[in-house]
Amino acid sequence: MANSVIRLQNIKRYYMVGEFIVKALDGVSVDIKKGEFTSIMGPSGSGKSTMMNLIGCLDTPTSGLIDIDGENTAGLNEAELAYIRNRKVGFVFQQFNLLGKMTALENVITPLLYAGVSVRERKSRAIEALERVGLSDRMHHRPNELSGGQKQRVAIARALVNNPTILLADEPTGALDTKTGNQIMELFEELNSEGRTVILVTHDRELGMRSLRQIRLRDGKLEE
Amino acid sequence: MIFENIKLAFAAMRGSKMRTLLSLLGIIIGVGSVVAILTIGDSASKSITDSISVGGLDMVTIYPAVGQRSTGTFTEEFGDTLMRDVEGIERVLPQNSSNATVRNNQQSMNATVTGVLSSYGEALNLEYSDGDFFSTMDNINRRQVVVLGSSIAEELFPEGSALGGYVSVFRNQAKSYLVVGVLESKDATFNISYDKSIFIPYNTYEQRFRKSSSVGSYVVKVAEGYDTIEVSDKITEDLDNLVGTDGYNLFSPASLAEMATQITGTFSAFLAAIAAISLLVGGIGIMNIMLVSVAERTKEIGIRKALGASPNVIRGQFISEALTLTILGGILGIIVGAALSYAVTNLMDWSLHLSYASFILAMGFSMFVGVFFGWYPAMKASKLDPIEALNYE
Repeated sequence: MANSVIRLQNIKRYYMVGEFIVKALDGVSVDIKKGEFTSIMGPSGSGKSTMMNLIGCLDTPTSGLIDIDGENTAGLNEAELAYIRNRKVGFVFQQFNLLGKMTALENVITPLLYAGVSVRERKSRAIEALERVGLSDRMHHRPNELSGGQKQRVAIARALVNNPTILLADEPTGALDTKTGNQIMELFEELNSEGRTVILVTHDRELGMRSLRQIRLRDGKLEE
Repeated sequence: MIFENIKLAFAAMRGSKMRTLLSLLGIIIGVGSVVAILTIGDSASKSITDSISVGGLDMVTIYPAVGQRSTGTFTEEFGDTLMRDVEGIERVLPQNSSNATVRNNQQSMNATVTGVLSSYGEALNLEYSDGDFFSTMDNINRRQVVVLGSSIAEELFPEGSALGGYVSVFRNQAKSYLVVGVLESKDATFNISYDKSIFIPYNTYEQRFRKSSSVGSYVVKVAEGYDTIEVSDKITEDLDNLVGTDGYNLFSPASLAEMATQITGTFSAFLAAIAAISLLVGGIGIMNIMLVSVAERTKEIGIRKALGASPNVIRGQFISEALTLTILGGILGIIVGAALSYAVTNLMDWSLHLSYASFILAMGFSMFVGVFFGWYPAMKASKLDPIEALNYE
């Protein structure tokens, strides 16, 4: 319990859609330990995206407690949640979500900007992160000059650059061909073997099975 | 962070050049017209003041009312009375004038003949193209000598120097006067046209022209170190006691210049206020482009929020963008306004008097417009829900 980086306790997240209440998550409790590689799996509408948003502090639960890296997030305001997203979470998205008008290097620098890192350190750290994902030769290219796999590597470098507690990847291979997807998965596995906590959100059973631990969701509840 | 924000702002402007240009145009026109109006107003005021002050800002002219001519107040000794009553007067020069025809051979024209003391020339800083003003002895001996205004000299002596020549002045009968001096051409003031005047000694005038014992008018020269307006106010006070408000007219270029400056100042402030409204309209243009920009970049805002940008940071980014736009528009507007002022003052033959205060005013106001109209779109951006923004396509 002591070394858990994510702790969800009886989380409920309800939405109002018109006059109906949609129970996206309905009483979920999960504990993820430091250094684990965990897959959150389930069909679409099972609540896995909601869970990812909550873990990534993009959203707050209707009820229940979330601890990130031993810190309770209940009652935090927008700016405080932004701080956690910046320092503790690194997001990797299916559609890469790179800033289109910026070079790979500028994209990777962006989280450091919000962390208040000095100009010189920003650049050296961003270059280091790009080297880590094997893209040091494409730093000055814009996203539209990069292949899908390269884009995703930039996104991973951007997620890594602030040295977050958790890497949160939402269908990171969903927009890639099998071979490239496989390379990206290998990169995540490498990063995990270096001690990083990786959470993979996927509907792909085969992909999910590559990780040591699976959390299966169905209709907003854990499927045991 | 500020540097990054400015960089982002320029990147955004590059991304939509036409739109940026159009909304910049609003600010440019607003700032440009404020600057142009204030600068042109300043230059006009300067030029009016200059033309009023041709006669000397340290001069005040007193005209006794017609009914006062025979009351015995406005005599040659009046100057002494005035200098005793009012502090700050260097001297008081009595003068008389009337119109007459002047002639040389076949050339003749109408002129204002003024009888003045020999110190008149020096007191009014008159300049001569030829000769000099007449002397004290000319006056005492009632010599028939004359100083010609430049137009008169040109007209009557088309072929050469007037100096040493003679002109006939008709008043009941023709009398011949020796030309001792010719004036440089000098701009006319409200009460005298130098170029079309001739000056003769006071006593000569008295003998040849005048019938009554009173003096036509007095030129008062204010002593150095005294404020002309203050002195002329005191003269007014003194004369009010002496002959009543209807007993005289007082003409003071300094007071007039001040009044003109006030009027043009008020007028250009009024026009600038109207121009400022166009700046406000420009601000609405900025708000419009910012709202479009926020809407278009919803996804970008979502990504930035996911990467840890706080609402303050997002707001700062968009306010910086609005400010960059208005500062850029402000700089271009000042250039346009200055160019316009240059063209107008050139056309009107005024000297350009750049109003730096208007630069600062216009710039400050346009920055205010940037923050004011950028605030709402920036607020809107900062409050976007991160998940919705991320999923926006």
